[in-house]
Amino acid sequence: MPKTAHVSARMRQALLLAPSLIFLVVFFVMPLVDNSSRSFMTEDGSLTLARYGSFLSDRFYLGIIVETVVLSAAVTAISVLIAYPVAYVLVRKAGRLSGPIIFLLIAPLLTSIIMRTYGWQVLFARRGLVNQWLVTDLGILDAPLRLLNTPGLAIAALVHVLVPFAVLSIASVLQGVDRRLEEGALMLGASRFRTFFEVTLPLTMDGIGTGAILVFMIANGSFVTLVLLGGGFQTLPLLIYQQFNTTRDFALASTMSTILLVIALACLWLQLRLVRRQGA
Amino acid sequence: MKLNRRTFLGTGAAATGLIGLNGLPLRAQDRTLNVTAYGGVWERAIRDCFVAPFEAKTGATATVSLGGPAQWLAQVEANPENPPLDVLIMSPDLAVIAAEGDLMDDFTVEKLPNLANIPQEFTDACLGKGTYFDYGVGGITYNKQVVSDAPKSFAAFVDRVASGEFIASVPSIQYGPTTVFFLWALNNALGGTVDNVDPFFEAMAKMKDNLVFWAGPNDFFNHLASGEADLGIYFDGRTWNHVDEGVDWISFINPEEGGAMTAVAIQKPKNASDLAWDYLNEVLAPENQSKFAEILNYGVTNTKVEYSEKLASRVTPLSEANLPPYAEIARVRNDWVDRWNREIGM
Repeated sequence: MPKTAHVSARMRQALLLAPSLIFLVVFFVMPLVDNSSRSFMTEDGSLTLARYGSFLSDRFYLGIIVETVVLSAAVTAISVLIAYPVAYVLVRKAGRLSGPIIFLLIAPLLTSIIMRTYGWQVLFARRGLVNQWLVTDLGILDAPLRLLNTPGLAIAALVHVLVPFAVLSIASVLQGVDRRLEEGALMLGASRFRTFFEVTLPLTMDGIGTGAILVFMIANGSFVTLVLLGGGFQTLPLLIYQQFNTTRDFALASTMSTILLVIALACLWLQLRLVRRQGA
Repeated sequence: MKLNRRTFLGTGAAATGLIGLNGLPLRAQDRTLNVTAYGGVWERAIRDCFVAPFEAKTGATATVSLGGPAQWLAQVEANPENPPLDVLIMSPDLAVIAAEGDLMDDFTVEKLPNLANIPQEFTDACLGKGTYFDYGVGGITYNKQVVSDAPKSFAAFVDRVASGEFIASVPSIQYGPTTVFFLWALNNALGGTVDNVDPFFEAMAKMKDNLVFWAGPNDFFNHLASGEADLGIYFDGRTWNHVDEGVDWISFINPEEGGAMTAVAIQKPKNASDLAWDYLNEVLAPENQSKFAEILNYGVTNTKVEYSEKLASRVTPLSEANLPPYAEIARVRNDWVDRWNREIGM
């Protein structure tokens, strides 16, 4: 290829990339840098790490970091456990029903998360449908259960929102698994159980990894569900919102959001390493 | 269409130009004012009661930005030399912060003739850089179908919720005004002071097994409607709005100790358009405030306003509400929030 044509092609590529790069720099990188820089600045403009020192040396805040990560990990694990069988049925068994199943998976995502969360309130309130069923219709209980504002329900609501992301990630990888490998294992005497765990599962680790990362990241920053359904969870996103909305401590909010970002990146890196090792 | 470098660059330049033009502040157009409103019925009331008469009298136009005080104040703080908003609706505590930050203009009768009929204490509460134009009272809202004999005081509320007689829905710390209309009000009623909020936290500890928390006003109504709670701490105006919408099972009590007056302040950022004074004068005008009160079921501050019979029976008189010491609360609020987080949770 002549040198001028090569330069021209590269220039065209750069120009095509330019709008998205400019968009990312202006609306993602610059605000992120601006936000993080607040946490490292004193009011008179000198550099400081004091906010990180006081935040990370306070047991209360450390507890919040741990709670944020544990909650996200629990939601991720439950979502993947539910999503895998659904994805398996979708790809291997559903046949002509795969279209309706995908629609049913995606349909809830078309509804506002606030509406869905209010739906949980209506269903699980003290005089909601579930308690009415248990107390009045079936007569199993004498008094209604307290279901709202419990950790279990908050986790269930998050899982409900996030399972579709995991199903679609796993299904897309499962779809590409060469069935002849599984058939080969069966023909060589492996049980279905062993074939699944030694052939199918390792070949779908990429899908599990992608789904887990997606779910973890969204759960890590989840806010609306926890605000409306409570559950007693104290997480970083709730605390960050409070700094903007109530205390107006923007520097502390910036410190916490930088810590949340680092946690998210660290977990992303760990998950990627784990998935690659498992899939290798 | 073939995409070559020339058309790509041309289109990009045109798009950038359009985006740039779009980004020009509306204030640059001399006869346009950018005012603020909360969403929903608030926006309609602001447009009908204040924007319309302002536009009719001045021939100028007013655009309405929706949002909340924390966001609006942050926008002004980010660009005080050329504020993107000309009139701010503010919570009282943020009004004090904005005034202390010297971000707002002084309110005087010379600039605002209708200010003469607003009690001076409301302008003083904004340090002279704003005033209150509307207020509600935080008290006890209850489901009449479940609660036949509602608590008449904050003290009785605490005792009866603590005993398990009722499940109460109270505002969570995620809701901005909670520190004033719930924390301060209950603490004040139980004998506490701004510097001693132990009575409040002791009461919360007693009630904790029978509390649910609401994060926003709609959330509270859902708690009552779904039976998750029997009663709770809420606002008079919002309760009556539900009644007007056909909810006949809800009612409100202003506790005997007096609920906290939760006011709405109005301010003009420094360097905002001078047209804002005309608009603010309309906001403080008795005929406009009267119409505003009828729509929102909240009290207004112009002493010349005469409420309709229906509204007069609903609006809590100023004499029966407590005006919180917003400036003092602003000084200790972050400590209260931190203690709430550690003792009660978010």
